[in-house]
Amino acid sequence: MARDEKIHIVIAESSPVLAAGFSQCMRRLPGINVNITEVKNPSDLETCVKADTPDILLVNPTFGGAFNPESIKDSASDSDFKIAAIEIVKLGKQVSALYDGVISVIDDIDTITAKIKSLCSTSKETSEEKENLSQREKEIISLVVKGLTNQEIADKLFLSIHTVITHRRNIARKLEIHSATGLTIYAIVNKIVDLSEIKL
Amino acid sequence: MTTEKKYIHSDRMISLIAENYRLIQVMSRFGIPMGFGDKTVSEVCSDAGVDTDTFLAVVNFIIDGFSSFNADTDVSVQSLLHFLRQSHIYFLQYCLPAIRLKLLDSIRMRPTDISFLILKLFDEYVQEVSTHMNYEDETVFKYVQSILNGMPQPNYKINTYSEHHDQVGSKLKELKSIIIKYCPADAHSNQLNDALYDIYRCEEELESHCRIEDCILVPAIMRLEERHA
Repeated sequence: MARDEKIHIVIAESSPVLAAGFSQCMRRLPGINVNITEVKNPSDLETCVKADTPDILLVNPTFGGAFNPESIKDSASDSDFKIAAIEIVKLGKQVSALYDGVISVIDDIDTITAKIKSLCSTSKETSEEKENLSQREKEIISLVVKGLTNQEIADKLFLSIHTVITHRRNIARKLEIHSATGLTIYAIVNKIVDLSEIKL
Repeated sequence: MTTEKKYIHSDRMISLIAENYRLIQVMSRFGIPMGFGDKTVSEVCSDAGVDTDTFLAVVNFIIDGFSSFNADTDVSVQSLLHFLRQSHIYFLQYCLPAIRLKLLDSIRMRPTDISFLILKLFDEYVQEVSTHMNYEDETVFKYVQSILNGMPQPNYKINTYSEHHDQVGSKLKELKSIIIKYCPADAHSNQLNDALYDIYRCEEELESHCRIEDCILVPAIMRLEERHA
């Protein structure tokens, strides 16, 4: 998870005091940038996960009577998110086994930070990886900004088109730049190409 | 289940604005003029011919998100549609052109460096937002209007829209970080700061706008579709 990428957390907790507490606490976690949505009843939760898939759903196991982690994934438009239980009193093994993680009201900030990070750790990218472009990637950038198509780049560098596409995807992720014009600006400022070489 | 809403019919309109100045935008997009004295929300709304529940649903959603929003609120789709159309006009005809002028004002445009590329990047972004909103105006909102008129257009469902609704606000993030990281050093800093502040604000407003479409408009249309089915 890139550092300035926001983690979208939905908090499903009917107690306003606990919901506000968790929501404030998540905003304070060092090195983690969050976007919080609070919901306080099951029908809103359903609308919410349908409209915008969260990264993490933080839910009280007693939400709406008894919460069923399986059924909420079924109603979400994209079921690829983690569900963590809010623990107020010690949860039994059977209950916590239904969740991807448990965050307790007595956890300290470091513990919560570690738990949230591990919940999002499926994406293996790390911040050190950012900005460090390989020589090959720089070569590809220079050809992209000169206006070559993926196929032309593949032919020129004796690569398969799939390899070129993978490189381009990695470049976009490392630089967090997805548009051709943005890439051109980056390439000129970093002297990968000269302004005079650009076809506009 | 009772839902404790942040703002209700009997609140004075001035206290809403006093507590959250961003609501000034919401009022004008609903077509509610200022100069309402000490009237309550429902008085001001009925004077302006705006459905109070819809106004409050949008207001409470903007302030608190889902925590004071009830997805089952029976909103007036007609009022909501008016609000969303006015928002499009605001973004395309006022907000984005004003930011462009400020960028032109702050960055010296020269053919010998990247200054003009920054403007090109901005223009491409505006083009994207404009395509997105024109599709909504021409296809989605027309479809919604056809349901309201009692003759739903066949071959379209609101699901088609909600599944492909991309977030135009998040793309502004890339734009502003490129400006901040690569802007020529001789830009006028006060004007540039001003332009950047506007971009940040525009990004927040666009995100909020898209969420209103996803979380208030789409569920309301789904209910209408069920009634017509």
